[in-house]
Amino acid sequence: MSKTIELNPVTRIEGHLAIKVEVEDGKVTKAYVAGEMFRGFEQILRGRDPLDAQHITQRICGVCPVDHGIASVLAQEMAYQLTPPPNGLLARNLIQAANFIMSHLTHFYLLSGPDFVDVAMIADYQGNDAALLALQNWVKAQLASRTIVPGGPFLPRYAAQYLQDADANFTVLRHYLEALEMRALAHRMGAIFAGKLPHAATLVPGGITEKVTALKISEYRTTLNTLRDFIDRAYLPDVIAVAKAFPAYFSVGKGCGNFMAYGAFSQAGGSNTKLFPGGVLQSGKLQPVNIEAITEDVASSLYSSASGRHPYEGETVAAPEKTGAYSWLKAPRYNGQVMEVGPLARVLVGSQDGQSAAIKSAADALLKNLGRETGDLNSVMGRHAARALECKLIADQCEQWLDQLTPDEPTFTDFSIPESGRGYGLTEAARGALGHWLDLREYKIRNYQCVVPTTWNCSPRDDHGVPGPMEQALVGLPVADAENPIEAARVIRSFDPCLACAVH
Amino acid sequence: MNNLSRRSFLELSAKLCAVMGLGAGAIPRLAEAAEELAAGTAPVLWLQGQSCSGCSISLLDADAIGPVQLLTRYISLTFHQTLSAATGRQAVETVNQIITAGGYILMVEGAVPAGMPQACTFGGEPFGAQLVRAAKAAKAVLAVGSCASFGGIPGAENNPTGAISAAQYLKAQGVHTPTILIPGCPCHPDWLLGTVTHVLKLGLPPLDALGRPQAFFSRRMHDQCPRFADYERERFAKTFGEEGCLFKLGCLGPLTHTDCSLRHWNGGVNSCIRAGAPCIGCGGEQFAAQANLPFITKKRAAENQG
Repeated sequence: MSKTIELNPVTRIEGHLAIKVEVEDGKVTKAYVAGEMFRGFEQILRGRDPLDAQHITQRICGVCPVDHGIASVLAQEMAYQLTPPPNGLLARNLIQAANFIMSHLTHFYLLSGPDFVDVAMIADYQGNDAALLALQNWVKAQLASRTIVPGGPFLPRYAAQYLQDADANFTVLRHYLEALEMRALAHRMGAIFAGKLPHAATLVPGGITEKVTALKISEYRTTLNTLRDFIDRAYLPDVIAVAKAFPAYFSVGKGCGNFMAYGAFSQAGGSNTKLFPGGVLQSGKLQPVNIEAITEDVASSLYSSASGRHPYEGETVAAPEKTGAYSWLKAPRYNGQVMEVGPLARVLVGSQDGQSAAIKSAADALLKNLGRETGDLNSVMGRHAARALECKLIADQCEQWLDQLTPDEPTFTDFSIPESGRGYGLTEAARGALGHWLDLREYKIRNYQCVVPTTWNCSPRDDHGVPGPMEQALVGLPVADAENPIEAARVIRSFDPCLACAVH
Repeated sequence: MNNLSRRSFLELSAKLCAVMGLGAGAIPRLAEAAEELAAGTAPVLWLQGQSCSGCSISLLDADAIGPVQLLTRYISLTFHQTLSAATGRQAVETVNQIITAGGYILMVEGAVPAGMPQACTFGGEPFGAQLVRAAKAAKAVLAVGSCASFGGIPGAENNPTGAISAAQYLKAQGVHTPTILIPGCPCHPDWLLGTVTHVLKLGLPPLDALGRPQAFFSRRMHDQCPRFADYERERFAKTFGEEGCLFKLGCLGPLTHTDCSLRHWNGGVNSCIRAGAPCIGCGGEQFAAQANLPFITKKRAAENQG
């Protein structure tokens, strides 16, 4: 017998997401992923000064503002035919890296953590860790009080099987508390060059407005050491512990099997190499990304604008009453194909790309540690593992970028805005491949389109009725208890959805 | 946490007094407020409308009161969409229970799509309707950030959803719960923490004509600017990365009333103008509102030849 289960709203993600799944004989047969919030950034940008774009597009999302800022300045630099000096590019890498670290720690501990960690087990804690004892006292007092939501925001939660091994559970719980401080520290580190975070102040076409000084380099390095220590000591081991405790999650949440990365983090020396290379991976074959092959369908999206357009020609005209449509997300496609983007795509593309030995050897070592094969990575746990792995790669790489900075040398190349021009900016956000397309006329923005990682991953059905990556990943999933669909929640959160980004 | 000594509450409150720019005389009363929050007698409900979650992220970046202390000592956070374990129907039921009980402080982040209710929903309910229900039962409403306070970017010119600030929406719907605006894009965590503690123990803080706490929004940025001496000497930066006052690059410091230049961001590490970036007036009423008022003044190609 068929039954419909709704997760509306999905919490512990960024933004407004609603999921509907149809379950037959205990397994999901159909899934519908819907974005529930629209603001219209692309219309708001039209007619504005192009230098507003890096500030306005950052406000699409408070979790990944830096990536939007970078995509925007890259698009403008292409339109203005402008190249920042090495210091500018390196400092941008360091700002973007800091935000990645903040985002990944936030995702594993704050957003996904409560799906695996048993907060209630703290009542039985008998150790002597001061922070855990304080948490125990707080939870006990909360549960004994007449407060409206005892233990909020950590309770209530789905009745489910959480981490059972007490040592592992208390370790991850202890690190949850520490991660709250670490993620703030990562932002503090980024603000050394960003001015402030979230919403970096210093990103401009041509580089950054902040200077590079010996003191700033040391400040950044000191904080970086603390974060690298936490990633090595807590984040990676915790992901491995959780993955080993939930082995079934290497077999569920398998996505569409097509992966795409644009690549990000330019390496110094004027070469085109990046820490994460770009590429499209289909049936095990890696191809370079062809930007012309990107289009956005709107058959299932709440827009009346033309479907199947390339972003340069894209439009965003809201049609909230449109029949047959169920999401505020468009459906981006590559050569008409569904693509998964994100840390898993970056790690798989990087592992295949002959230039990125570091990614391949790190991935191989992690798989060995987990006792898994590359094929197992296309799963809930594979996404978590890939995210932790790249977090370490990025944090380690920051040391080299710091070494490559030259104190007191320029961070900015001057420019003037041309009357007209076109440009696109491709980078990677924490959640995957991010592109901005700018068309400039008479010194103003004629058109601006953003195709965002979660737009790919959470896309609704396209013009041919083909479901998006998350919709595909949910199909076949066993759901034991319709009242407590924790399995679906775990699949959804493994993508680290960001809905403010996806719809904008 | 409930086993905290009186002393530790006093210590935290002393920090908070520094954050709020209050005299030491307020410390004991703030300590009581902190205890009350920890005991769960002053719960907080956090709702998100047309927002980017940036103000939530900014709050978690708080330094004067770290995030662990914040969540377990300062704020009895009954529900927050980005942090709550409750998902789906459980989340909707939790929020409805909180609203039924009433008496909480409502923190709202984001604008309301007044012209297109479908453009923001929670559990199928239009956000505006949920906001009105929640605000009516609240002790006070704190509009957190520029979208909730003034409309921000969702409410900017040419926006397709008819977005207005949460505060304006409540007023239009005839909700009279005391409402304080704490703008900023994002809202600085000190501004929010300072205000909520003030509300709890010292009552409504003194507000300016726009409804913002005077403690944080009464001083003109320009007057405390680290580059003020450059302005006085008419030493102006002509492009980014140069020394000098940023006024000719479009800096809105002279029109903006926030204390960023003294307080700085992310634990005091940096701030926009200190980092060479012109102020974009993100704490002001007109932030991003008009399409023809650019954030940055920069020469155009045609002007080079002249």
